[in-house]
Parts: sequence; structure tokens; C-alpha cells
Amino acid sequence: MRKTLVVLTCVGALLMTVAAGAFAAPTTLAISIRTLSSPYQVMYKNGAEAYANIVGLPLDVLTTEANSEKGLTDIKAEIARTGGNVAFYVDPNDAADAVSIAKTMEAAGVYWVSWWSKPADVKVWDYPHWICHVTFDGFPAAVFTATELLKTFKTPGQGKIIALQGRLGDTPNGERWQGLQKVLSDNPGVKLLEWESAEWDRTKAYNDTRAMLVANPDVDGVWTANDDMAMGAIQALKEAGLAGKVKVVGCDGIPEIFDAIKDGLAAASVLNDGNYQAELGLAMSLAAKQGKLNVSSLPHKYRMFEIPAVNVNAANVDQVKHDYIDNIPTYDLRNFFARWSRALE
Amino acid sequence: MSERQENAETKQVARVRAGFSDVLGAAGRWFRRAGVSGQLLTLLIVVLIFGIGTKGRFLSLVNLQVILSLAAIPAIIALGEHQVVVLGGIDLSIEGVVALCVVFVGLLLRNKFNANDVGLWIVPITLGIGGLAGFVSGLWNTRGRIPSFIATLGMSWILWGLAVYVSRGQTVALLDTRFQGVITGTVLGIPILALIALALIILMQVVQGGTRFGRYLYAIGGDEVLARQAGVNVERIKIIVFTIAGLLYGLSALFLCTRLGGSQAITGNNLLFPAVTAVAVGGVALTGGIGGAKNAALGALIVTALNDGLILLHVNPYAQDAVNGVVLVAAVALTIDRRKLGFIK
Repeated sequence: MRKTLVVLTCVGALLMTVAAGAFAAPTTLAISIRTLSSPYQVMYKNGAEAYANIVGLPLDVLTTEANSEKGLTDIKAEIARTGGNVAFYVDPNDAADAVSIAKTMEAAGVYWVSWWSKPADVKVWDYPHWICHVTFDGFPAAVFTATELLKTFKTPGQGKIIALQGRLGDTPNGERWQGLQKVLSDNPGVKLLEWESAEWDRTKAYNDTRAMLVANPDVDGVWTANDDMAMGAIQALKEAGLAGKVKVVGCDGIPEIFDAIKDGLAAASVLNDGNYQAELGLAMSLAAKQGKLNVSSLPHKYRMFEIPAVNVNAANVDQVKHDYIDNIPTYDLRNFFARWSRALE
Repeated sequence: MSERQENAETKQVARVRAGFSDVLGAAGRWFRRAGVSGQLLTLLIVVLIFGIGTKGRFLSLVNLQVILSLAAIPAIIALGEHQVVVLGGIDLSIEGVVALCVVFVGLLLRNKFNANDVGLWIVPITLGIGGLAGFVSGLWNTRGRIPSFIATLGMSWILWGLAVYVSRGQTVALLDTRFQGVITGTVLGIPILALIALALIILMQVVQGGTRFGRYLYAIGGDEVLARQAGVNVERIKIIVFTIAGLLYGLSALFLCTRLGGSQAITGNNLLFPAVTAVAVGGVALTGGIGGAKNAALGALIVTALNDGLILLHVNPYAQDAVNGVVLVAAVALTIDRRKLGFIK
């Protein structure tokens, strides 16, 4: 009997120690992103690390590696590991994943912010712990890059282009494509000869561009939905002896495109500031967790919104590279909606 | 005309007809023996459809050069893959091996990221990394008795993780131009890259058809138990095959990196499925024991020509995947001699 009592006492003490440790543990910051193999996604990680250093909290970086199931499983494991004491920033692998993630977060009572992809008909305010969904506004970004491309033609506003879309069905791709369409409709002298979906992939962009250049050897410009594809297109143009004569535009702001703009191979890009993305997402989630942000009182326009990207062309490429690529800016995160540009429908 | 003259003429016509029929018969026998009649027929159909559909542009010298150039790297990868398939296995390590090799090529050749420049030593280094990865996969498969599917999949993930860790997700722009001539150069109008692939195809075909190694390869693919009973060192052959595959993936990585002018881990993405498709379309039976280097090469050529033709024909990208699927099934139906297969799984 005495032995049993001693054992029970020890077990109880152990459990209390563990529980006390758990309660005392600081909130973990966590980001779930697609991969660490892309410069743009690495910006998320850098921004998240910078924010974790500022607030002095531990950070976990989860990657889906383009596998939706892995993404959800890792999020569940992180919630279990931290006992729900976690603030999340998530870039869902696919738009459809957002719903499963929302249900998981809701069940665990974990606040989170999503970026880029979610089904259009899913409303954030139907989930009390889903603080907001934010994206960079792809439409004006593409309007800017397409307009810059048209300026490079021998006769500005008159010419032929080919285009490379990302993965068909991806929300950012759709927005950027709409931006290009708007510029084309405003400039009837510009003809889109052909487009392909290179699925955000540089090698496929290279292959597709080479074939499209055979079919359309007299193009004046190449529009692409992201910088990786732009770099693939530039390589194809180099082999066709057209690099520099036929300009390319991209989107996202990877380091290589800055050099391409400086070298006269690309006309423009748009920097989606991944550092800010991650810092803003984590700051909002942490504030909600600490009771400093009342999610339910936020108007709908602040629950699903877009923020502008940074336009880059030959005129400002050095400045943007210095400010955003070579250094991580210090952001004022006291007003979460300082960069709000428009509500998502 | 006398009766004798008429008879002589009739005999002459009969001899010519017989000769023509002999030639046709011999050609038919050669095609049957070579096992590529279906593949050539498929290629012919593809060429005819796209040649007519594009009003000859598909058959222009520029486009044929593009097709040969684009088919070269998939052909080299398919050469590595197909021997594992002939053995009755599968090699899923392509993307991981290429990712790690590409990262090392970027970091060791003259680049914008660091001061390294190993020059031509990059060739043995890249081949060494690829070969070592293949050798270890072979060891896991034979000594560890781990199915090739799992052994190579695990190897791919390990190397992918290493590639991401080493590269930190960054893209390294290449400054080295020593290999650029191989990528862009031609000899008698034929891309050098295609000639390298052709040399490898011929070498491998000769080894498969005229050496003990080749006989053992097909013996194991046909019936591993029987081959073992006949005294074939199955383990050694398997390890050699996996190592050769790794060497070829390493070589492909060097070419890919040079072609794209930069190194990033994701360059390895999206290479596995086209390689397996090329092997299958080329007529290499996934059940093992059937098909050779020429099959894999023709498969790569058909798949590349198909993708190129769809772009030249301006087939809507939304429909291209569906067209690819139909052609894949049709091509395999045409190219694989299913009478030789004991069963279809």
C-alpha cells in the first residue's frame, strides 16, 4: 500500500511538473509554406525568423513540399506538440486545403492567417480562429508588368507577344492573367500570339518558349506569370539569339530577375515582399492569441484583403534590390492594415 | 514480241518483284527483331500529323533542331531509368539525384554566389555524386533487400533534402560558359547535345546486345530466380545498373544546369514522370526483361516531339494534358508487344 502511494505520488508530481512546464512554455510561432527550395518561399522563412527574434519566441518552419496531405499532417503534429500554444501563418499548398486547415485550427482553438490560396466561396468569417486571408494583388501587378513590356516594343503599344501562365487554376495565376488581359484589351495593337502553362517551372518554361519561338519567330515580348518562368524564357531567347532584343517580364521579385533587368534582358517584375508577408501573418496570429486583437470585431473587409506589391523596372531596380533583397526592412506592424489595398470578394 | 521474249520479261518482273519482296521482308524482319517497329510507326504518325497540321513548320530545320535538343536530356535520363525497368525494378531517385548534382554544379562552377571554380573537374564530381547515389540505391536494393521502389524513393528524398539544405533555397546564377557550347552548338546542323545522347544510346545498345552484361541484364529481367540458378551474379548486375543510372542522372544535371544558366534544387522537379513515360512509350515493359536503349531513346523523342507539336499546332493548353493522356495510352498500345508478356498487371 505504501509502495503504491509512493508511486502514485511520484507520478502525480511528474505530471504536475510536465503540466507546469507546458503552461509556462512560451507560445510557438509556426509557418507552413510550400518549400525551402524557392528563393521567394525562403523570404517567408527569413521574415518569420526576423519576427521571432524581435518577439523572442521559438519558431517552427513546416514545408508541404507540394503535398497537401503532408501539409495538413504537419500542422496537426505541430498543434499536438505545442498543446495548441501556437500562432500560425499558413500558405496552403492548394486552395482547397484551406478548408481542412481551417477545421483543424478551429478544433484546436489556434489562431492563424492564410496567404495566397483559398476557395473563392469560402469565407474567413465563418471560422472564428481564421483571422484573415491576405494576398498580394496580382491584377495590378500584371497590369504593371504588361504595360512595361509594351513600352519596350519598337513601336510602343504595337506588337506581338507570347505568354507563360503558371499552374492553371491557381488563384494568383488567374489574377495575373486577368491583369494581362486588361492591358491587351486596352491596347488593341498588341496581339497575344500564343500562351502555354509552364506550371511555375523554369525548365518547362524554357522548353515551351523554345517551341513557341519556332511557331512565332517574330515576337516582340514575352509575358510570364512569375520570375522563375521568366528566367527559363530568357534562356530560351538566348539560344534563339533574341535575348535583349525581345524583353521578358515576370512577377515575385527573385534575386535573378533584378540582374536580368539590370542586364537589359527583362523589362520589369513585381516584388511580393515575402518578409512582410510572414511578419504580418505571425504578428496578427500572436496578437489574437494574446487577446490584443479582437478577431470577431474586425469588419469583413479586413478579414479578406489584398496588399500591393512593389513594382520593379530599370529605373528603380537598384533601390528595390538594396531595400528588400540585400536587407530585410524593419516593418511597422502596429497597424496590421497599413498596406490594405482592397477587400477580396 | 516473241513468246520467248515475253517469258524473259515476265521472269524479269517476277525477279524484281521477288527482290522487292525480299527487301521488304528483310526490313520487316529487322524491325521485328529490333523491337522498335511500333515506336517508329508512332513517331511517323506524330511527324505526319504535326507536319501536315503545321503546314510543314514542324519539319523545318529549326524545329527539328529544337526537338533534338530538347529530347537529348530526357533521353539520357530515360537511358538510366530503362535499364532498371528492364531488370524488373523502378528508379524513383531521378529528381533527388539531379537536384543535388545541380546544386553542386552551381556552387562549384564559376558563379555569382561564391569564388569557386573547379572547371572541368565538375564532370567527374557530378558523375561521382550521381554514381554514388545509384551505387547506394543498388546496395539498399540488393544487400538490404529493400524493393527498388522504396530504396530509390528514399534516396530521392534524402538527396532532395540535402540539396535544399546545401542551397538554402537560393538560386545560383552560373557565370561559367565552358559547357555552353555543348548546349547551344551544332555539328552539321545537329545539336551537340543530341549527338552526345546518340553516342550514349549506341554505346548502351551495343553493350546490351553484344556483351555478357547485356545477356545477364535480360536474363534477370526475364526471370531473376532462373538467372540466379544459372550462376548469374544478380546483385552485382543490379548494383552496376543502378550506378549507371546515377551516372547518367548526374550528367543530365550538368547539362540542365548549364542550359538554364543557374542552379536551384527545384531544377530536378518534374523529371521523373516524363522519364518513366518515355520508357513506357518506348516499349520497355514495366514488368521487366523487354526493351533496350533504342526504345528508351525513341520514347523520349516521341514524347518531346508530341509536346513540341502540340505547341506548334496551337492546341489549347487546357486540352494538352488530355491529348497527352490519349497519345500515351495509344503509343503504349502500339509500341509494346503484349504477346511477349506473360501477364498484364
